[in-house]
Amino acid sequence: MFTKHFSGQLASYIDGELAQRKVQQAELHLGQCARCRTECEQVRYGMAVLEHLPLVEAPEGAWASIEAAFQQSRSRTTATTGRWRLAFAATVVLVLAGVAYWAGVHQSGMRWEIVRLAGSPIVGAKQIREAGRVGAGEWIETDSRSRAAVKVGEIGSVEVGPNTRVRVVAMRPDEHRLALLRGEIRARIYAPPRLFFVDTASGTAVDLGCEYELKTDEDGFGMLRVTKGWVSFQWKGLESLVPAGASCRTRPHVGPGIPYFDDASENLKQALESFAFEKGGNETLSIVLTESRARDTLTLWHLLSRVEVGDRERVYDRIAALTPVPDGVSREQALKLNPETLKRWKEELSWTW
Amino acid sequence: MLRLGITVFTVAALVLAAGFTFTIGSPVASQDYQAKAAAFVFRTEGCAEPAKAQISGTAEGLVKGARRSVVLKVTAMTKPGVYAVYQNWPPEGEWVVNLKGTCTDASAGAIVPIGPKGFIRESSKFFQRPATNAEIETSLRALAKGGNK
Repeated sequence: MFTKHFSGQLASYIDGELAQRKVQQAELHLGQCARCRTECEQVRYGMAVLEHLPLVEAPEGAWASIEAAFQQSRSRTTATTGRWRLAFAATVVLVLAGVAYWAGVHQSGMRWEIVRLAGSPIVGAKQIREAGRVGAGEWIETDSRSRAAVKVGEIGSVEVGPNTRVRVVAMRPDEHRLALLRGEIRARIYAPPRLFFVDTASGTAVDLGCEYELKTDEDGFGMLRVTKGWVSFQWKGLESLVPAGASCRTRPHVGPGIPYFDDASENLKQALESFAFEKGGNETLSIVLTESRARDTLTLWHLLSRVEVGDRERVYDRIAALTPVPDGVSREQALKLNPETLKRWKEELSWTW
Repeated sequence: MLRLGITVFTVAALVLAAGFTFTIGSPVASQDYQAKAAAFVFRTEGCAEPAKAQISGTAEGLVKGARRSVVLKVTAMTKPGVYAVYQNWPPEGEWVVNLKGTCTDASAGAIVPIGPKGFIRESSKFFQRPATNAEIETSLRALAKGGNK
């Protein structure tokens, strides 16, 4: 166990690079150590900021001045002066990049409206009495009695539930992004797909034109439930597509599990949980296959690319038994996980979802 | 050669026309974000030129014992042959949606009952002709009596 603070291993922990035993020790320690929890949150915040920093082109003049300073530093006999000039030029570049980033993030002072629904929600360090505004980088926090509604630019709204801590990461026309540290939000988005994102510790919900509820704790144990449209739930190259009427759990260091319809059988849901997060084997897969209805081909379609190669045929055969395989989908290509084949099949299967 | 081509074309057209029908699905099936608020979506099947199909519909209702009929706004989605039906009928009472379509000389029809949780796939009926008034009345009465799931 980590009897001392583990600041040096925080980045590895957050990136999921620690061994399972170390992860358990770290989580135990985090549960008891406020200092490490705070540091963990700060590192996560820093990583999220880095991920979303826009690439900013350095002004032509700045590069010219660096080169000029470099040339001069060679020719000058006094090396100290050259170094000062170089440092000055580098500082100019950094300041310009910082200003460009700040301008991009803050959109000339653009802020979203936030309205108190109950209790005393907080933005930054200030309590909201009835209504207020929230800008990029600011946290919204509610206690057990508080709720708030945020107008997400011109594209929709987000209701922030009780005991929630969420930060506005980006508010650009092409990217509206929140980071949900803990708690629950309910999003209603009216925009075209891929303009609204919510990051959690174990997955990012990408709006594909939808309404949904997203819950998570600080470790990344979470649940997405979609009520309208589609959400793409993503984490490190893994993607779960969740349509209206379906839910998807997510777990730390694993990411989103396999989506299922809320009206699926309890046996199927339990087996799926075991299969996705507890390395359930052949028996749990058999339960999922047996319990599936035509509508549960949503679950089976996702399973096809997540089971062991040897089990793919079982999944394919079950889908084919529940719904006719459409033109353009061959067994061979489906078992090879050909992306075009899987997309075609998903579009056809979705008529039963 | 020309005669063979005409024959193949005619046979293909007849086969397609003979199979003209509708398939219904939840709004997500349209793969179009604009359909997310729809009551349901549907597509034409067996129509060689879906973009030219003529589609219309009505919502047929029974409200406090009185028959009502509302003309539907059927909205074409981005993909040809896919349409969304948005609820423009009152929330009270029992309602079925009556869909009609023509593709060249072929016709199709469907009766889609609407329950408290949305359209009822299992009780929907599909025809290769417009639904008759009697069929609509039967579906509506069954829905009112709870005969539809």
